[in-house]
Amino acid sequence: MKSLKKLIAAAGACVMLASTLAANVTAMESYDPYSYDRWGDAVASQVGYTAESFVDGQSIKGLTEYVSSMDGYEASKADWKDKMGLKEPADLYLAEDTGLLFKENSEANPNYYMFIADKGNDRIIVTDLDFNMVKYFDKFTYNGEELTLKKPEGVFVDQYTGYIYVCDTENSRVLKTDIDGNVDYIFEKPTSEVYSQDLTYNPRKVAVDKAGNVYVVVKSVTKGAVMYDFNGEFLGFYGANRVEATAEIIMNAFWNTIATEEQRARSTKTTPIGFSNFDIDDDGFIYTVTESTEVKTDTVKKLNPRGTNILSSITANEVTFGDISPAYYSIYTKESTLTDIDIGPNGELNILDFAHGRIFQYDKMANLMFVLGGTGEQLGTFRSIAAIESHDNMLYVLDSRKNSITIFRRTAFGEIVTEATNLYNAGYYEESEEPWRNVIKYDGNYRRAYIGIGNALLNKEDYKEAMKYFKISISRARYNKAYEGYRDQILQKYFTPAIIIILVIVVAWKVIKKLNQKGIITFPWQRRRGA
Amino acid sequence: MLDLTQGQFVKHTVMHPFEGFEDLRWKKAGSMKYAIIIVCLLFIESLAYSRMYGFQYYTSYDKIFNIVPYIFQSFGLFLLYVVCNWAMCTLFDGEGSMKNIFIVTAYSLIPYIAGKLIGTVLSHFLIRDEYIFIQCFEVIGTAWTVVLFISAMKAVHQFSFGKTLALILLTLVAMVLVVFLLVLLLTLFQQVIIFVFTIYTELSYRLRV
Repeated sequence: MKSLKKLIAAAGACVMLASTLAANVTAMESYDPYSYDRWGDAVASQVGYTAESFVDGQSIKGLTEYVSSMDGYEASKADWKDKMGLKEPADLYLAEDTGLLFKENSEANPNYYMFIADKGNDRIIVTDLDFNMVKYFDKFTYNGEELTLKKPEGVFVDQYTGYIYVCDTENSRVLKTDIDGNVDYIFEKPTSEVYSQDLTYNPRKVAVDKAGNVYVVVKSVTKGAVMYDFNGEFLGFYGANRVEATAEIIMNAFWNTIATEEQRARSTKTTPIGFSNFDIDDDGFIYTVTESTEVKTDTVKKLNPRGTNILSSITANEVTFGDISPAYYSIYTKESTLTDIDIGPNGELNILDFAHGRIFQYDKMANLMFVLGGTGEQLGTFRSIAAIESHDNMLYVLDSRKNSITIFRRTAFGEIVTEATNLYNAGYYEESEEPWRNVIKYDGNYRRAYIGIGNALLNKEDYKEAMKYFKISISRARYNKAYEGYRDQILQKYFTPAIIIILVIVVAWKVIKKLNQKGIITFPWQRRRGA
Repeated sequence: MLDLTQGQFVKHTVMHPFEGFEDLRWKKAGSMKYAIIIVCLLFIESLAYSRMYGFQYYTSYDKIFNIVPYIFQSFGLFLLYVVCNWAMCTLFDGEGSMKNIFIVTAYSLIPYIAGKLIGTVLSHFLIRDEYIFIQCFEVIGTAWTVVLFISAMKAVHQFSFGKTLALILLTLVAMVLVVFLLVLLLTLFQQVIIFVFTIYTELSYRLRV
């Protein structure tokens, strides 16, 4: 009885110890990091990035001094108080400058600048990566005329020309300006017949490709991005989403085929949902995200210059971006709402989920790497996640209700996963084995590490071990390949001896039978019968 | 002629699709023991086919395991068929008794079970490109069972071919009806239980006050 009590006490102590250990791993984060397994079930995981610090308006060095020295400054007035910090910032853009923006930078010695579209204060703030303010835009000059911003929601810097593009949303225009605030061109609502004139023009996001074509996401346009050439000529729409073939839409299509012209005019038109944000990578591909909870098609797209989605040709299977299953609460369900996308330095896709305040990082083959963040007030969680930018091993995430930027730094675990992923995606399977094995030491639930090790072993023709790892990671097609190799090895090794043994047995049997028929030898059972 | 043991009769019926069951009936042979063994094999087959198939072809969700669906798939479905077929054949003046139907239906399932089991074993030795061999066994087994099955029904009830097909179709309809009624019954009983429980809760609250 006493020993039983001891045993129970020991077991209890073990459980407590284990739980404190488990808690210690994630004690740094204010949320539970997770990842998805082969079945799409969430499993506990490690964080790839950890929230390091938090930058609000007051911590942007030089902003307070600049604002307090402006004309008509009154410390007691509310709107001047707002101007001391950020107010509903809507967009973030991290630009690499090789001398096109500021003279002190050069190709050999580039510098990085953060452009913050401070929507509520009608201004654009430019800071360096230490958040020292270097530029402040609230007025621009255009042909001697002074222009002011009204609720700007997007900002973009063309790294090939050094021009800054600002979505002046409530003024229905996009400004193309240099770093000194001299506006070069104003993009306005197209006058073409293709652009329905009933539609308002409220540009939200802007991007420019290598050729100088300008793409503008307009809130009221569902046909894709409004596209201009480098002269500002309206070219058309780019990269529209498809309409998801729901039962209702198929039904409507059926009725429309038998309806009269008049009836058809009265019926509801099916339009796709316009995408909400985009980013352009170094190769000139545009990635779009669509902020919709109902539609599952085309939530994330990679568009080629023709405007067709090529993401499905990169990924092996259909990928669900964001959370795989919605979060169920007692009175409502919450589905992932993808609000911004950023392409990282290694081609990672950083996608923001507005509904859950989460950041999903995928590698360039759209395999989930990390899930970060959550909703809440603590560091690393968000209230209204709005924009993301990445640089080197850092992530900058803008929250438009906390009026701040959260800075994430890659953890040791994140470094190893990134190293392994980059090697793996570049085709260096064998070189990636070592880092993948380290990944497993950190996180035994990390499925892709097992696939990575398996592929490395497969390349080394160690089929038996490869089979083991593919079985753990439940990847049938790869297991099949490893098994094929393994079986060939076995056959090569044992085929000749096996055939020889079979031949020997057959020949021996024939000989014995013959001898038996001639009466030279008798079998025991024959002898017994005779006796 | 045809002085076969019960075990030999099993082999005879399977290997002679067209007269095997007629012989069985004529000799009043057919053993319940073998039939029950075959149905147990059907259960094992359904279990093996979905849980023990070669990893390169199929992976079952192994976080949970519930045996009840497999019991329904094999024993449940088989018994349901036998009962419904018997019920239908009484309307059609079929000659088979419940026991006879049970026996011949079980016998006719042998090729299907064998095909699936051979396929399951082979799936551990073959790669995906060679799936055609597995498929071969499974398809031949199933087709053979269909032939045996029709012939068995025809023999046990002494029907014409067309009437046999009609009977099988009607049996399927009857099975659907039975399942529907069972579900309905279950739901209604659930309602009754909830109702009784609500009254009990209501009373217990009032008594407490």
